[in-house]
Amino acid sequence: MPESALTLESALSELEARARERILAAATREELEAVRVEALGRKGTLAQISRQLGSLAAEERARVGRLLNTVKQELEQLLAARQAEFEQRELAARLEAEWLDLTRPAPGPRRGHLHPITQLQYEIEDLFTSLGFAVLDGPEVETEYHNFDALNIPPDHPARDVQDTFWLVNGLLLRTHTSPVQVRGMERFRPPLRMIAPGRVFRNEEVDASHEHTFYQVEGMMIDREVSVAHLIYFMKVLVNHIFQRETEVRLRPGYFPFVEPGFELDLACLVCNGRGCPVCKYSGWVEMLGCGLVHPNVLRTSGIDPEEWMGWAFGLGLTRLAMMRYGLDDIRWFQSGDLRFLRQF
Amino acid sequence: MKFSYNWLRELVEDLDLDARALGLEITMKTAECEAVEPYGQHLERVAAARVLAAEPIPGGHNRKVTVDTGRYGVRTVVCGAPNCRVGMVTAYVPAGTELPDGRIERRVIQGIESDGMLASGAELGINRDAAGILELEANPGDPLPGCVPDQILEIDNKSLTHRPDLWGHLGLAREAAAIVRKRLLDPVRIERLPKGPAPIRVAIEDFDLCPRYSALVFENVTVRPSPLWLQYRLQAVGLNPINNIVDVTNYVMAELAQPLHAFDQDLLHGDTIYVRPAREGERLTALNEETYRLDPAALAIADARGPVALAGVIGGLDTAISARTRRVVLESACFQASSIRKTSARLKLRTDASMRFEKGQDPHNTVRGLARAWELFEQVSPGIRLVGGLADCCRPLSTPPPIELPLDWLTRKLGRAVPEAEVRDILERLCFVVREGGPRVFLVTPPSWRATRDVSIKDDLVEEVGRMIGYGTIAPEPPRVACTVPPQEPLRLFLRAVREAFVSQGFTEVHNYSFYGEDLARRFALDPAEHLAVANPISPEQKLMRRSLVPLIYRNLEENAKHLECFRLFEVGREIHPQPQGLPREIHHAVAAIYSRQEGEGNLYELARVAQCLMPGAEVRPAAPRSFEHPARAGEIWWRGACVGRLFELHPALLAGRAALLDLDLERIHELGPEPKRYRPVRRFPTSAFDLSVIAPQRALIGEIEKLMVRLAGEDLDSIEFLRTYSGPPIPEGHQSVSFRLRVGAADHTLSLDEVGEIRARIIAGLRAAGYDLRL
Repeated sequence: MPESALTLESALSELEARARERILAAATREELEAVRVEALGRKGTLAQISRQLGSLAAEERARVGRLLNTVKQELEQLLAARQAEFEQRELAARLEAEWLDLTRPAPGPRRGHLHPITQLQYEIEDLFTSLGFAVLDGPEVETEYHNFDALNIPPDHPARDVQDTFWLVNGLLLRTHTSPVQVRGMERFRPPLRMIAPGRVFRNEEVDASHEHTFYQVEGMMIDREVSVAHLIYFMKVLVNHIFQRETEVRLRPGYFPFVEPGFELDLACLVCNGRGCPVCKYSGWVEMLGCGLVHPNVLRTSGIDPEEWMGWAFGLGLTRLAMMRYGLDDIRWFQSGDLRFLRQF
Repeated sequence: MKFSYNWLRELVEDLDLDARALGLEITMKTAECEAVEPYGQHLERVAAARVLAAEPIPGGHNRKVTVDTGRYGVRTVVCGAPNCRVGMVTAYVPAGTELPDGRIERRVIQGIESDGMLASGAELGINRDAAGILELEANPGDPLPGCVPDQILEIDNKSLTHRPDLWGHLGLAREAAAIVRKRLLDPVRIERLPKGPAPIRVAIEDFDLCPRYSALVFENVTVRPSPLWLQYRLQAVGLNPINNIVDVTNYVMAELAQPLHAFDQDLLHGDTIYVRPAREGERLTALNEETYRLDPAALAIADARGPVALAGVIGGLDTAISARTRRVVLESACFQASSIRKTSARLKLRTDASMRFEKGQDPHNTVRGLARAWELFEQVSPGIRLVGGLADCCRPLSTPPPIELPLDWLTRKLGRAVPEAEVRDILERLCFVVREGGPRVFLVTPPSWRATRDVSIKDDLVEEVGRMIGYGTIAPEPPRVACTVPPQEPLRLFLRAVREAFVSQGFTEVHNYSFYGEDLARRFALDPAEHLAVANPISPEQKLMRRSLVPLIYRNLEENAKHLECFRLFEVGREIHPQPQGLPREIHHAVAAIYSRQEGEGNLYELARVAQCLMPGAEVRPAAPRSFEHPARAGEIWWRGACVGRLFELHPALLAGRAALLDLDLERIHELGPEPKRYRPVRRFPTSAFDLSVIAPQRALIGEIEKLMVRLAGEDLDSIEFLRTYSGPPIPEGHQSVSFRLRVGAADHTLSLDEVGEIRARIIAGLRAAGYDLRL
């Protein structure tokens, strides 16, 4: 028995109203799916209505058919919207559940620490490398010739007293300064030459809070056609400003080192009191930083360089003492202590 | 070296700088003045006082003493000095005075209020006599004669190494006079020395060792304590007052830098003084009461019987000045610096004289010293008479040759122009003789006291001019030089990379000493005989130059384990390997360690991983354990076909807790260098993966199984990854299952399932042929 167009139309309206209500009311994806199957599924209400269209007159069929399509589209849109809503909500819930405490300490080992003297040494190496200096290395066990004689310190020279020496049973010695690398540098390379040589040196001294038998120095040397005290002061200022990362005040005064002439001590205006006087600078306002000077012609000559043709300057800086100054350390023994409680501070 | 400001002021006319300002000028222009300290400030308050009454206080040796102090009126003090007696004049110190050893307070002693004190020379810092209170010839209330407050300038000895002239006050006064442009007042009146034959002869065997020996002979000598002013002055500069004759010799030394020595002439044998090398086996008992066995390397002063002094170092006890001395031979000589230094170093005897002679003293100074001493002897030993004339044995004294100083060269060296007239003025102020030597060239002759060692070339003159203009007047200036890439030391860069690698993996760098002791060496299976040994070690623990970094890393582990549960540390340092000839080999090694208080097998794998960070593709091969290694946990690190290091756990008996160590020969690794890099076409077709589990005996080496699989897979292998091991059912007892994931592919197509199956079957067959079962 064919349904009338009116009946179908009202069935469609009713379907739409009910389905819409249930779609909107669905609390879960399953409920939503149930509505979809019931209303829009292959055996669903809409499909049943659709099957009855055939019995309508052509004109009515077209009209009810259009209505049916409208209802179907609207319900599908509504379903899709709710579907998306559910997906959105689930995603949000999942992500929320994935909350991580990012303040929890990260696993794995922490970065270690370079020895404070190594760090200082690298800073100085990098500075001089940028200025076109070679960074050279020399042996820690040295010959008397390289450590003393070639540096214008002949045997029985009183200057040898200043540097208490560790002698080895085979007549060699532990270098008392990095200056022998000057000599080795001149032997290896012809002038012009710009070099620094950081390294470990040794003095036969009892160890206490301010004395170590093992410490670090950096040697520097430049040999060229025209080398003056003015150039030396320039490099020393660049060096000291770089190390302390600020404009510092330095002064040059006479100092005696047999391998330079003239020789200087370079003082730095005390960084603790800014030169006003304090226990660190023994109330002088100045702290001894390094020794330097113009290379003695005997030193050049010994290494086969004609002092009438070439000139040079050189400096020797105590890295260990500098590190103490920079970090405000009052006991030199920490550096060789191997104590991680100390080393991890740098 | 201590300098008295009062003394310097006597030698520089109108010196108007105070002591502190003078110290600063000296520091900036001459030598480092380390401190300026007040000396004897209390002497202003001290007064001569006559003892009016002295009553013993029962129950001790103290006396209640009444003194007339002039300035302070009559006072009562308690005094325990044995020489305190009525009528004497001594030194009174009022309460409230700061003495070197503390403040004098009014206080009650044995029921008597002591208002101040009577003082000894030692208490006042005038001499070292603490046996009794001072005995003065003065009126009550007078200040102590010649004892006024002073300032002491402490000059760093190191900065005087090259300046023999500055080992006396006149030398420093000369510098001060030059700096402040004042006149130097020379205390020496050499013209007073009488001409005439000398009463003694001097015979010098070798003028190289002793260029000059001068002497005077005195008679009618009275030996007694020096006047207070002389004692005080010596004490202020750190010299010990002894008696008037010896004090004068020390005074002249402290003033002119010329060491003198006085012999008791009546104790010398013969009339000739011989200056000669000591003979083998000769002995000398010196003033310090030590007896020295001499040899020909030492220079002796001898009389007819034998050595009476060690030249330039110390006098002999047998001929020393004593209270009985009536006639004195006063020696003023000059000795070769290096010979004195050798003798003094060998005998470990450094004296005020040897310190001066080893700097190279001026031979012109000997007679000046005698002239000055004579004048002082007359003051301190009334009635003393000179016998005859000067004995003076020397080779002709040479004048130093003039030094050519081109002024343009001077400008180039300083980096600042100094006007010609100023250069001349500076040099002349310092007593150099300056003549014209051509256009813009000076001919400069140094004074004799600068010419022995200090000034001989034009570079030395740069210093003279530079220090006097002040280095602060030279403006810093960058040089204009060729801009070139400096030579590199690749090993240095590699060492930096190694340190960085360890640090980034959580290791902290330590620095250890370069030496250790024999005991520690033996604990680490190192033969002490194979080490380079220090001849003069500070202690037995620091005798051997390290051949391995491990022993001291072990010390670090021990120490840090006291504070920390687990940690990582490393050192990059040099092993010292002695060679039959020449310098030892210094081989850079890195030793890294991971410590944990609990089980530590993970530590070893972690170190292996870090080694592979440094050396991609490095492998560990098992090795025979050494005595200090865990016997079942030791291996070698191999890379690019060479053994480059060692990985092991420290023997648990050595340490509480577990420590894994990695020891790498960085030189070897650097020589091998990284694998050269070359592009290979990237596999563009998808690869396929499958897992294989090999059943192997429990201690079969997984590394070997992996290598075998790689070989069997051949060209087809894209990558191989170790997954896990498993033991337990159903794996047979004593066995483990070792699983790998292999990824295979072809360069030109995607492998079909059949092809993958064939590869897999080939590997399985190969594994079976090698005796492994598989868990399929």
